[in-house]
Amino acid sequence: MANVLWLQGGACSGNTMSFLNAEEPTVVELVTDFGVNILWHPSIGLEIGEQVLELLQDILSGKITMDILVYEGSIIQGPNNTGTMNYFCDRPMMDWIKELSKVAGYVVAIGDCATWGGIPAVPPNPSESTGMQFHKKDKGGFLGADYKSKGGLPVINIPGCPAHPDWITQILVAISTGRIGDVLIDDYHRPKTFFTDFVQTGCTNAISFAQKIDGHFGKRGGCLFYEVGCRGPMTRASCNRILWNRQSSKTRANHPCLGCTEPGFPHNDLVKGSVFKTMKHLGFLPKDTPKGNSKLGYYLRAGFEKTMGTIEKVTGGHKELRETSK
Amino acid sequence: MGTVKELNISPVGRVEGDLDVKVYIENGVVTRAHTQAAMFRGFEKIMEGKDPQAGLIVTPRICGICGGSHLYCASSALDTAWKTNLSPNALLLRAIGQATETIQSIPRWFYAIFATDMANKKFANKPLYGEVVKRFAAYVGTSFQKGVTASGRPVEVYAIFGGQWPHSSYMVPGGVMCAPTLKDITRAHAIMNRFRNDWLETVWLGCSIDRYMQVKSWDDLLAWVEENESHRDSDLGLFIRAGLEFGLDKFGEGVGKFLAYGTYLHKDLYNTPTIEGRNKALISPSGFFDGEKYHEFDHMHIMEHVKHSWFKDVPAAHPWDEPLPTPVPSQNLEQTDFNNKYSWSKAPRYMGQAAEAGPLSRVIMNSNPANLDHQFHDPLFGDILKQKGANVFTRALARMHEAPRLYEMVNKWLSEVNLDGAFYIKPEERDGKGFGATEAARGALAHWIEIEDGVIKNYQVVAPTTINVGPNDDLGNSGPIEAALEGTEIEDPHDPVEVGMVARSFDSCLVCTVHAHDEKTGKKYTQFKL
Repeated sequence: MANVLWLQGGACSGNTMSFLNAEEPTVVELVTDFGVNILWHPSIGLEIGEQVLELLQDILSGKITMDILVYEGSIIQGPNNTGTMNYFCDRPMMDWIKELSKVAGYVVAIGDCATWGGIPAVPPNPSESTGMQFHKKDKGGFLGADYKSKGGLPVINIPGCPAHPDWITQILVAISTGRIGDVLIDDYHRPKTFFTDFVQTGCTNAISFAQKIDGHFGKRGGCLFYEVGCRGPMTRASCNRILWNRQSSKTRANHPCLGCTEPGFPHNDLVKGSVFKTMKHLGFLPKDTPKGNSKLGYYLRAGFEKTMGTIEKVTGGHKELRETSK
Repeated sequence: MGTVKELNISPVGRVEGDLDVKVYIENGVVTRAHTQAAMFRGFEKIMEGKDPQAGLIVTPRICGICGGSHLYCASSALDTAWKTNLSPNALLLRAIGQATETIQSIPRWFYAIFATDMANKKFANKPLYGEVVKRFAAYVGTSFQKGVTASGRPVEVYAIFGGQWPHSSYMVPGGVMCAPTLKDITRAHAIMNRFRNDWLETVWLGCSIDRYMQVKSWDDLLAWVEENESHRDSDLGLFIRAGLEFGLDKFGEGVGKFLAYGTYLHKDLYNTPTIEGRNKALISPSGFFDGEKYHEFDHMHIMEHVKHSWFKDVPAAHPWDEPLPTPVPSQNLEQTDFNNKYSWSKAPRYMGQAAEAGPLSRVIMNSNPANLDHQFHDPLFGDILKQKGANVFTRALARMHEAPRLYEMVNKWLSEVNLDGAFYIKPEERDGKGFGATEAARGALAHWIEIEDGVIKNYQVVAPTTINVGPNDDLGNSGPIEAALEGTEIEDPHDPVEVGMVARSFDSCLVCTVHAHDEKTGKKYTQFKL
């Protein structure tokens, strides 16, 4: 049994929408079968106005126990660190979060905005947004590097833009069923169970990556890493192991991975030439290379594979075996 | 003399984002209303100076409910700026994405956001209340879980082509990223059929889609309800009977003007995208209905006003001519001076007038006799508008009326995808201005872009929520939701469910918060639940 309060700051509700797509368990089953008691949620809570204010006051006074504070959206601190660009129940949302985080059993940050600031924090960061315990890659964020909730953990980060519904529901279930001890977190406070493998694990184009066969938009087969900026080899997430909407994933739908579970998202701050294009040195060496290789080692191995492919094409030894059929 | 009261509601809840509403009540009737959007992120400012394609990643994240719609606009704006070519497949797959996102929102909105209000104790003395509670009560209602679960199905189809929902960027200038296979198409058909079998025909309509589509007038609809038990007892039958019994058709009238940008560009009529060629290529037609006449839609008639918005004052301007907004200090609802600036939303106006956006506007455009052969023709809501006018009931009915048609369109478009054809034609990047628009589930959405020296110089987004939730304009005229609240009778100011229902009938994507005050004494009501 766990009481959950879900609040949104500088949010688009995308994580809530994703959460509502959950299947095993569904949101309703989470409530009816897994002991998750949603004290309030901005989209699906029934109370409004003063009732919410009273609930918040009861939580702060200890009258109601808040086992889990789920926070979606960036912490808006603007202008000039006042937080008045985001009022909630007549106060800056950031003031509520400061106080609520002190009485929370666990704090779960959902989505990139809550974890490290996300898109609102892209320069010039008009709303002075930051994440709960990180600002982009830097530890600290709004609550500070040393923050720990009453349960003894720092903010549990479930990144992604949005986060996958299973990542959300499984962590809520782990807490409500007393298994939070089985959840290990990495340097960015992400549960390792979802964020150890790379997006490339399970990608249907992995063989094209190995053989250096280029893919592109509107084309079947081929790897999106070389030309259209896929970040699958550098991004830790289970997108190709636990599929989205039970169907697919970005890379399976020929959509380059945007790297949205890593704290740099959106990477390179959307500068010219960084969107759906692989940024390169000297026009041909990818600036970002797969994790686990030295850059030089990667360039040499990839160069060998590319050269072999070109020779085979010229000598007729190469067949387009990797073209998927319609 | 009656008493004048002020009602502040914060947060209003079950709309996405943060919306506060302040209403003034005199003799139990709302005399004035102000809507306050309470959160600022500055997405347009973030895009300045960035890669021209930044909008494909950034704008879907403006709103997680309408991300696919933002993507439709962002890619379309670049299509017109870059003068791309679009294949029939690209137009079909974009339309499928837009339609599946919208159809997802129909049961999700009805059960999770709207219908739970009908289970409010305000209606406890009505004969159908017991049945309404049994079906529509949050979480435990017999239809609640069915509807919410079914709402996940259409976006599975979106995920087949876009990789995931929400927040894909699969629509790009020149087409789409995906190149689906036969198994993708077949699976998509099967998922849509499941949506029909699990909810649309069985729970919602109680009849076949074909039978329902024969309804052409208000009288037809009433006759349909009474035709048999299955119709009467369907969720639609219950909604119509209870909606009328509860008097949902008696409040929330609004400005009486309707704006739709239209959507679903026809696969063979928009292969060389231009702003001028857009209206005629739409399947769901655009237009402005002023209460008497239909007018052709022209985006140049849109202007945004900021006199009552927390941005530096500039004259009302068309989005291409607007500067990126400069925020000024804001206040909370209690301290806000409503004669001055009071919202993070701007006030968009069409030909200088406030007009409502949303499903009701769309289905009214479907009744325009001038619609072209390939466009929707449906006289139902032209008739309903004459017979019943705009109100909470007709807005909700319009929303739900779209589900059967969209189901049919998605299946049709899936069957038209040519697996041997192109999905993407690589465009040439260039500087220039672009305009892209669509109909998000909750109404007219448009993006304007200006690219200079290969980066974004100006990016302006006008969302349907901005249109509906916006504050007073420069002339002091109310925005659509403000206007719709005025005249609403509040039975119990301690439980002003009517205010929430009006706001939620527009489905503004903001968490709506209502603040009620006694205008004469200044007393704030302290206990209420919407």
